[in-house]
Formats: sequence, C-alpha cells, structure tokens
Amino acid sequence: MKVQCELCPKLCLIQPGQSGECRVRINIDGVLRTVVYGYPCSIHIDPVEKKPLFHFLPGSKILSIATVGCNLHCKNCQNWEISQANPEEGNIPAYNCPPEKLVAETNKYQCPSIAYTYTDPIVYYEYTYDSAKLAHEAGIRNVLVTAGYINEEPWKKLLQYVDAANIDLKAITEDFYREVCSATLKPVQNALILAKASEVLIEVTNLVIPTLNDEPEQLRELSRWIKMNLGADTPLHFSGFYPRYQMRNLPATSLRTLEKARKIAMDEGLNYVYIGNVASKEGQNTYCPGCKKLLIERSGYTILKNRLRFGRCPDCNKEIYGVWR
Amino acid sequence: MTRRKFIQKLIGAGLTIVAGASWCLKKAAPRKFIIAIKFKKYPGQLKPLGDISKQSKWSG
Repeated sequence: MKVQCELCPKLCLIQPGQSGECRVRINIDGVLRTVVYGYPCSIHIDPVEKKPLFHFLPGSKILSIATVGCNLHCKNCQNWEISQANPEEGNIPAYNCPPEKLVAETNKYQCPSIAYTYTDPIVYYEYTYDSAKLAHEAGIRNVLVTAGYINEEPWKKLLQYVDAANIDLKAITEDFYREVCSATLKPVQNALILAKASEVLIEVTNLVIPTLNDEPEQLRELSRWIKMNLGADTPLHFSGFYPRYQMRNLPATSLRTLEKARKIAMDEGLNYVYIGNVASKEGQNTYCPGCKKLLIERSGYTILKNRLRFGRCPDCNKEIYGVWR
Repeated sequence: MTRRKFIQKLIGAGLTIVAGASWCLKKAAPRKFIIAIKFKKYPGQLKPLGDISKQSKWSG
C-alpha cells in the first residue's frame, strides 16, 4: 500500500519499501517510518554566531545536531555530503543519541540551547519535535536552522517548542527555487510568516550566488518582502557562496557584491543586515538603528565587544530586537 | 414512466449528489498530518559518541 508523507509540500507518495525525496522517511509495510530518529550523524558544540544567529544569546555555545537527508536538493549545497546522503548506503555513520541522551549531553556541556541544523531539521521532524519538547521542559532553548520547506500543520506544532530560527530565504523568485533547489518559494514565505506570528525569534539568511540571485532588483525585492512581512527589525544575513557540489562552475561571491547587497537592504529600511562567509568588518557588527552607534563588535564567530544593557542601546536606550539572556 | 420509477430515479440522483458532495468535501478538507514512526534499527553504520566539544566543519 502506498503512503503519502504530508510533512513537506512535496507530499511524496511513497511506494512500499521506498523512501520519499528526503531519503529518510520510508514506507515499510504501509506505515511511514523515520529511519533517522535518534541517530544524528553530526553532534558538535558551535558558537551560536555560526548558525548564524546574531540576536540570540550572543557569545553562547550551542549543541548542534543533524541527521542525514534533506527535502531540498540545492545544487549549491555546502553540506551535500550529509544532506544528500542515503542512510542505507552506510557512507555516513551515525551516533545512537535518543532525545533523553541529547538533553543530557546538552546539560553535560552546559549549553543553554540546542540547534537542529546542518542538513534540515524538517526531515528528521519527529526527532526534532521530541527532543525540542524534552529540552524545553528541561529549560533548554531550541533553535532551528532550516530552509523552511514544511507544511503548515507540522510547522505550527513544532514552533511551540522553538525559541529561535534562522530560516533561509534563498531567493525571491519561483524560478530560482524550482531550478536550483527543486522546491517552491511560497511555502517558505508562509513558514517565515507563521514563525514570526508564533513569536519565534527569526533571522533570515540569503546565500548570494553570482549571476543567479545577485541582481540589485531581486535583492531589493527580497528586502522589501522581509520588511513588509516580518518587520524591519528582522536580521538579514547575506552569505557568500563558494563553488560546491553541482555548482562548481560559478565563482565565489565577492565582498563587494555582499556589501552592495547589504547597502540595498539597509536602504530599504532593514535595521540589522549582516555579511557572512566572507571577512567583513562592518558587516559583522550590530549597530543601533536609533543612534547608529556600535553595539556588538564581532570578528568571525567571536564577540569582541557587547555594549548592550538589558537588550537596550546604552546610548539612546532603544530596545534592540533579540533574545539577550 | 411510472410514479414509482420516477421516485426511484429521484432518490438515485439525490444519493449520487450527496456522495459526490461528501467526496468533494473530504478532498477539500485540510490534510491531517500523521507523524512517522521510529524505525527500530538504523540502516547504516553506528559509531560511539566521543568528544563533541569541537566545532563542526559543516555550514550552519
């Protein structure tokens, strides 16, 4: 008997013994099974700035996990070795780490939060959900780093245990999503709006790829959409592309392009616009949108200076969007 | 057509309309999300959990 997976907008109709597009949700005897529940292939402690999250507990460590698999197949994927892996092929070994153990490890290493990241927590949904629920009950915060390609019902259910999310908005055109990611734009926009409505702290990442989504008009439209639907205080990270996976024919994004993108977004009225993956002095710092003074100075993933006082600018007392403690 | 046959046809048509309408309503209703069940055994290799304090090489 065929099974339909209703987790993401792909709505895979799965034949017995086969998996969905994500490779990790399988029809076994007419029952949908997740083969990666409790089996992350990667567990590390990262700086929260690496996610990237710049407005969530700056300078803190975050226990970060991923299983193999992804529901998108981006030609430029930076983590394709794990995101496009098939667990049955056995190339990527995994750890046995059920939710209880994950929470225990988080406490052992004194991390205030867990990130479900690297691949996409949506494909290991049940593991993410149970872990996030358990972590939430233990006073640990939960962070998603995701492409946001998920249906409304499971997304809403998961969001109740999520404190912050960095969600990719890979481009503002359907063509880009279809041709580069084998996905569609609209569900991602819906996921962003729903997360915002659920009072989850949201930061958005846009990977700027030369010739594919770096046109000033596209960047302007993307910035406008964020401002109009998520608010001017939503942090936006313009991240530099490096030739990887099936997209080795394009050059890496230059700092100049990223700086232009940042200027466009700030001109459109976004208050916190950052540059990632490429060394940039101004593009890594947080400035007060009120008095324009430096609030948080960063170098790579390191916080050099944090002048915030109880989430406010020490000079003009403006409240700064974020979760600061 | 006799009155009996007419009433039979009327009932038949009515039932068809009701069945069609309920099918449409069922299709139009939001999908109920059903979670996947945990598979009992990981299909790939397993390794012991060691020191996790090192920063990941993966993006994100």
